[in-house]
Amino acid sequence: MTSRPIRGLMVIALSSAALAGAGAQDPRIGNRLDAPSRVAITALLDSARAQGLPVEPLMEKALQGLAVGADGPRIVAAVRSLSVEMASAHRELGTIATVDEIKAAASAMHAGVPAVELGKMKKQSGLRRSLTLPFTVLADLVSRGVPVEAGVNAIRSLVGAGAKDADLNKFQRNVSVDIEQGAPPAAAAETRAKALPATTKPEEQD
Amino acid sequence: MESSDAALVTRVLHGDVNAYGALVSRYRDRYARYAVHMLGNREDAEEALQDAFTRAYRSLARCEEPERFGAWLFRILLNRCRTSGARRVRRGQTFVHDEGALMKASQEHPAEQTMWREEIERAIGELSADQREAFLLKYVEDLGYDEMAEITGVGVSALKMRVMRACDRLRTLLREVHSG
Amino acid sequence: MAEWGRTTLELIVGELQQPVRLDASFERRVMVRVRRLHAQRRRRGVASWLGVVSRVTHHPGWAAALAAGIVAIVTLGVMRTRPAPTALAGAPREPVQFVLVRPDARSVAVVGDFNDWGLNDSALVATNHQGVWSVTAPVPAGVHRYAFVVNGKEWVADPSAPRSAGDDFGMPSSALVVEDSTK
Repeated sequence: MTSRPIRGLMVIALSSAALAGAGAQDPRIGNRLDAPSRVAITALLDSARAQGLPVEPLMEKALQGLAVGADGPRIVAAVRSLSVEMASAHRELGTIATVDEIKAAASAMHAGVPAVELGKMKKQSGLRRSLTLPFTVLADLVSRGVPVEAGVNAIRSLVGAGAKDADLNKFQRNVSVDIEQGAPPAAAAETRAKALPATTKPEEQD
Repeated sequence: MESSDAALVTRVLHGDVNAYGALVSRYRDRYARYAVHMLGNREDAEEALQDAFTRAYRSLARCEEPERFGAWLFRILLNRCRTSGARRVRRGQTFVHDEGALMKASQEHPAEQTMWREEIERAIGELSADQREAFLLKYVEDLGYDEMAEITGVGVSALKMRVMRACDRLRTLLREVHSG
Repeated sequence: MAEWGRTTLELIVGELQQPVRLDASFERRVMVRVRRLHAQRRRRGVASWLGVVSRVTHHPGWAAALAAGIVAIVTLGVMRTRPAPTALAGAPREPVQFVLVRPDARSVAVVGDFNDWGLNDSALVATNHQGVWSVTAPVPAGVHRYAFVVNGKEWVADPSAPRSAGDDFGMPSSALVVEDSTK
């Protein structure tokens, strides 16, 4: 049995090692973040890595927090939230999803889109099409007030009709202008989604 | 900045062999799971995965969609597993789980957890290779039937039939285990 | 198992979906094989991989497309030629022009995940042309977040780009998807 003082020393030694390790994890953070937050960030990165998730987006989130002057707990909370969203996105999108698709899906989830909806879209489009931009546009629509269901329907119909990324960029710009000019967000999305032509054969449903 | 698959493939094709290490690191665990379940043991799975990575490297110039390197590699692994021969279960080293999850499970219901895992392992091993492949792709890798068809080269209706039969078979096997 | 149903299937799948981790020696073993192949290829004097990949991009001008504060979600014209050996030292990057119309500003810079949100990155300090601030910088292919910083302190999202949903820190930002034109 280890005596209490010795055990205390061991705890201190381990904590110091953990803090030193955390600081050494990424020189971009260095000592810009308080030690407990560095440890928490390191743990979140390790956990993400163990789940097969890309860790760079989490690091970028921490760096963004530092750039705007956020405090440690707020940065940790933001990184944790992103890691949860990326894990859900990874689970729903499946093995074939790219890192960029997972990042974009996490952003859409942050805006309020359920992961399961993103998973359905990925299953529908499969390997044929990257959904990085569709998910990015969907996040934008929802953050501009388009109801989730209307946004999902609009993006699904566009992707299903074979819309290219250029079409989706045009769609996003048109909807945002319509909303800025006073159009109800749902109506703007639904109307603009109808305007784009079906350029290729519709994708098969499961 | 974490490089995209396409960026890494391009670097490899231009002679940066280290970039391939990043691809190996990115996909090894994700695809090890499929290989372990498909082949039934870690050693064969690692060998299949090594071969798949090596074959992919050798054929990298023929990867038509570098941004989908992962899916292309998965097809190579799937073919490698198909030609690997019969599934060989080596007890005690078949499932290599996340240690944290294992610890949690064993703390909660150690005996039940082990028994349950062995039941599943045996039942999966009893499936035909076609059924096992379809079941793993559908439920474990969580692919849609269209993706499965694209990866396996098998028609959607045939895949649905395989998955259904796999479920039927698992139902029977696991019920037998339970009642036995 | 008494009943077979959705729940049981989920339990089975949950068990089978547990992560499998390989140790670091796996990667080393693969890379030993790969380096051997690489060395063989070099010894045989095969300069390229079947001559398949030798691409570099040259892009047309950007200004016309960017009249009012735009951004660049990049869709590029591509011409393929043989690259210089150093062109692929890092990840492929595409030139992206960032534009913000702010006649009242004294300075405008771009920060984003592609420069680690670094305010001191001189490569992303915009120049002023009668209130139209712009800077063109190479950005790696992929999805990014970014913002303009006006007068060194005011964070502004790009008004004509998709919004980034993750404003966790109370500062607006925009989303940028850069296509890899080497594809």
